[in-house]
Amino acid sequence: MSAVPQEIALPRTFALSPRLERMLIRVATGVVLLVLWELLVRWLAPAFVARPVTVARALPHVLANHVPPGTPTFWGSAEATVIAAFEGLAIGVIAGVLVGLTMGRLRIADRLLRFYVNAFFAMPIIAMVPVMTLWFGFSSSVRLAIVSLGAFLPICLNVYDGTRSLPTNFVEVAQSYRARWWNVWFGIALPASLPYVLAGFRLAVGRVLVGATVAEYIVSLKGLGYYIVYDGRTFHQPDMMVAVLFLALLGVAINAAADLATRRLLPWYRRSG
Amino acid sequence: MSIQIDHAAKEFGALRVFQDIELEIGEREIVSVVGPSGCGKTTLLRCIDGLVPLTEGEIRVDGKKVVGPPQGVAVVFQHFGLFPWKTVYENVAYGLRLAKAPKQRIADAVPRYIEMVGLDGFEKAYPYQLSGGMQQRTGLARALAIDPHVLLMDEPFAAIDAQTREILQFELLRIWESRPMAMVFVTHSIEEAVLMGDRVVVLRGRPSSIHEVIETGLPRPRTRDVFSSPRFSEVREQVWGLLMHEAEQAERELQEVR
Repeated sequence: MSAVPQEIALPRTFALSPRLERMLIRVATGVVLLVLWELLVRWLAPAFVARPVTVARALPHVLANHVPPGTPTFWGSAEATVIAAFEGLAIGVIAGVLVGLTMGRLRIADRLLRFYVNAFFAMPIIAMVPVMTLWFGFSSSVRLAIVSLGAFLPICLNVYDGTRSLPTNFVEVAQSYRARWWNVWFGIALPASLPYVLAGFRLAVGRVLVGATVAEYIVSLKGLGYYIVYDGRTFHQPDMMVAVLFLALLGVAINAAADLATRRLLPWYRRSG
Repeated sequence: MSIQIDHAAKEFGALRVFQDIELEIGEREIVSVVGPSGCGKTTLLRCIDGLVPLTEGEIRVDGKKVVGPPQGVAVVFQHFGLFPWKTVYENVAYGLRLAKAPKQRIADAVPRYIEMVGLDGFEKAYPYQLSGGMQQRTGLARALAIDPHVLLMDEPFAAIDAQTREILQFELLRIWESRPMAMVFVTHSIEEAVLMGDRVVVLRGRPSSIHEVIETGLPRPRTRDVFSSPRFSEVREQVWGLLMHEAEQAERELQEVR
C-alpha cells in the first residue's frame, strides 16, 4: 500500500515549461511598466511628454527617416554612434589586452602603471570631455578618445587580473617545452585570461555607450546622443524616446552576442578552474 | 651517459634543500628517486630540466651543461599541467608546435601518441571532460610526442586513484619497452620506485643527500608477476627500512622537543 496522497500522482492540467513561464513573467512586468508609464504621463505631465502610445506612433516615421530637411535622421545618427562604439571597443580590446598583459607579466610595468590605470578607472571618463574638446576641438576625435579610453580601462584591468592569477603550473609546463616569453604571453597567459577579457568587455560595452552618448550631447556630434538632445529640445519627445530605447537594445544585444561567443569559443570555461 | 649530476646542491634563500648529489643515468635506464616529503626530489627533477638553477655543482644532459630546459627532455607533472582551453589533440601537439615541427610531422605523431596512451576517440575532448587518469595519459602523450631521449617523471601518478595508477604504471613500462630512454622517476611510493626503477636512489637528511643507491635487479619486461617475486619484496623492505629509520628519528626528535 502506498501512503502517497493521490493528488500528487495526478497530472497537472495546466503546466508551463519553466522557460516559457520565465518569459511570460518578463513580458508581464514590461506590460505593467508600460501601462504605468502611459497612465502617469497622461495624468501628471504636459501633452508633449512621451508615453508608450505616442512613441509607438512615432516609430514609423522615425525608422523611415521622415524628418524635415536639416534635422538629424535616426538611422544616420544610429550609424555614427554604432560605428564609434565599435571603433572604441576594438581599440580598447587591443590596447587593453596588450597593456594588461604587460602589467601582469612585467613587474616594472605593473609598478609604473597600475596606480594610474586604477585611478583613471575610478574616475568618470566623461568628466574629461571638456578637456578633450580643448585638445581635439569640437570634433568626433573627442568621442573616439572617450569611447576608446572607456573600453580600454576595464579590459586592461581585467586582463591584468587574469594574468596575475595565471597558475604557475601553466608557465612551468610551457617553459619545460622551451617556450619563449612571447609564447608564454600570447600562448598561455592570454588564452587563460580570456574569461577575464570577456568580463572586461561587458563592462566596456556600458562605458562605451555612455561615453559616446555624452560626448555627442556635449560636442554636438552627429549621433544618437545629439539626436536625443535635438529632439528633446524641439519637443519631439516620442522621437527622442525611440533613440533612448534603441541604445538600451544595443547594449543588451552586444552583451548577448558576447555571451554567445563565450559559449561557442570557450566551451572549457565555467567547468574548469 | 644521458644525465650526469655532479656535486649538485640547491638552496632557496637560507634553506639548503639538497647537497652533494652525484648521479649518472644511462641512456636506457630508469632511475627512481624516493625520499620523505620535502626532501627536494621534485626540486632535483626541476634542476635536471633547467627550470630551476642549481646553487652549486653542475648537471649535464647529453654532455651539455643544463642552463635552461634542454631539447629532447620532457617532463610529466604531478599536476598534469594540461591547458584547459586546448583539446586533448592540441595539448598533445603543444610541444611539437612550440618546436615549430612541420605540419606533416604533427599530423603523423599526435594521433600515434594519442593511440599509444589509449586515448583514441578523445582527441576533441577538453581536459575537464576527462578523469584524472585520462588527463595524465594526455600529459604522457604530450611528453612522448616530442620524441624525448630523457623523460622526467615528477610523481606522475600520485594524484590518481590506486587501481588506475597500477594500470598506468604497467602501460608506462610497456611504452618504455617499445622505446627505451633515460628516465628519472620521482615518487614517494616505495613500491612504485622499485617497480619502475633499474636503480632506486634514496634521499635522506636535511639538507638531503643520496643515502643509498640500490640496484633492483628485477628482470625486464616487468609484468604484474614482479610483485610476487622475492627480490621485489627484498628491495622494497630494504628501501622501507632506510626511510623508516629516518621517519622514526624525526618522530623521536619531535618528542624530545616536547
